Amino acid sequence: MDLVRDMLDKKVVDRNGREMGRVDSIILRVDAAAPPSVLAFELGPAVLAARVRPLWGRWVAALEHGFGVDEGRPVRIPFTDILHVHNHIKIDVAFGETPAATIEQRLRRWIAAIPRSS
Amino acid sequence: MSALVDLILGIVTSIGGFVEVGSISTAAQAGSEFGFQLLWAIAIATVMLALLVEMSGRLAAVSKDSLAAAVRERFGIHFQLVPLTAELLIDILLLAAEIGGAAIAIQLLTGVGFQWWIVPVGGSVWLILWLCGFGLIEYGIGLLGLITLAFVISAWQLQPNVGHLGGSLLPTLPTHHFTRYAFLAVSIVGATVSPYLLNFYSSGTVEEKVTESELWVNRTTAYVGICFGGVVSMGVLVTSAMVLEPQHILVDSYEQAALMFVPVFKRWAITLFALALGVGCFGAAVEITLNAGYVFAQVFGWSWGANRPRRDAARFTFAFTLVLLAALALSLVRFDPLRLTMLSVALTVVIMPAVVLPFLVLMNDENYVKTHTSGAIGNGLLAALTILGCLLALVVIPLEIFGG
Repeated sequence: MDLVRDMLDKKVVDRNGREMGRVDSIILRVDAAAPPSVLAFELGPAVLAARVRPLWGRWVAALEHGFGVDEGRPVRIPFTDILHVHNHIKIDVAFGETPAATIEQRLRRWIAAIPRSS
Repeated sequence: MSALVDLILGIVTSIGGFVEVGSISTAAQAGSEFGFQLLWAIAIATVMLALLVEMSGRLAAVSKDSLAAAVRERFGIHFQLVPLTAELLIDILLLAAEIGGAAIAIQLLTGVGFQWWIVPVGGSVWLILWLCGFGLIEYGIGLLGLITLAFVISAWQLQPNVGHLGGSLLPTLPTHHFTRYAFLAVSIVGATVSPYLLNFYSSGTVEEKVTESELWVNRTTAYVGICFGGVVSMGVLVTSAMVLEPQHILVDSYEQAALMFVPVFKRWAITLFALALGVGCFGAAVEITLNAGYVFAQVFGWSWGANRPRRDAARFTFAFTLVLLAALALSLVRFDPLRLTMLSVALTVVIMPAVVLPFLVLMNDENYVKTHTSGAIGNGLLAALTILGCLLALVVIPLEIFGG
């Protein structure tokens, strides 16, 4: 597998096929005695912004903290949770049970209050 | 049978949805200042748009990914940040201009100042997006947009010289005001090849679940529908050239542009122009707003879709609402909608290379289009478009300063 081509920026869906986000960064373990191995990947706007400019990553993290949606974010998914990698990456977790869903759930509460939202 | 219905509806909506604030203003100005001489610019821009729209649809039908999603996956966030930011900025400017155009149309009908109509127009855009699914939005806008055929009827009734029209399809140099001529030519391209159209079309292809077996529908809709749409734009230019140019009326406001209908439609002229402008702008405003939600959701991997209940795609709904509010805030600042339109079409040209270049890679990547890669002709045309896009991007700002 080519990590950058086949994994980075790919869409991530949970075990029920619900969109969770994209692979915003990949965590590798580099050991002098062994080849590098993939530990996990991360989802979240702060790591995405940090990939472009580290300073932007800190700003986005501060913004998330300011809105109170930073708990457990960025979301780190262990490599062992991957079910398959095709045109998207399917993982063995439920979106609603991870902090990746924090903003979606908060917005959903507001939107649900408007008539004909469902 | 279903494919045939889809084809007819697709062509009709491409025609009805073609003309909006940018194409009306650039074509009307071109006609009033240079007669038929800039018809070639509309022809070239229409062919460019048809090619890119067909490729957007093919990419989406085969890969089940929209254009924005494919660019994020294939090129990464570092590349996408530039077109994404620029497109978002242009979408907000263009959306403000479309809302302004629709508000001016209501002003023409009611006599009440356009500023009073901006919030109701914005609210109506949001309500349509809140209540309707993709099919109703697309087909409703397209069918209502058939009123813009009034421009073609008007041009036909004015009986232009066919030889002159045919001759104007080949580029010629003007006898006066070269920079203004070049600026209008480039602006026509910018107004026609709007980036939002490409992602909107590919997202629609995903929403409508178009399959590989229906690629011929996509191809026919793109080429036939867009080319007939270009004829509507030409109708604006021809009408303007035959009515406004002989009287030396320059289009520096929509009220003046409305006069082009007077010889053909007499006392219905202002009403018809207002309806054509209003429907064209309102439809484009709905599409731009929806596309803003698409782009955010697809780039960041959120759930999206106009066919989903809004609460099931909360971030997508929030994103298009936020962009609409930003455009409304801009519209409420005292501004001239016509100038805002010309600024947004010029900026569209600036980002054109970043919009066209990804096609060259994506349409040759079998991971996305499988066996439906572009052939030698398709690649040659794309390469020509990329070079043309780069050249136009280089000259548009100097032309905006000296000829805008």
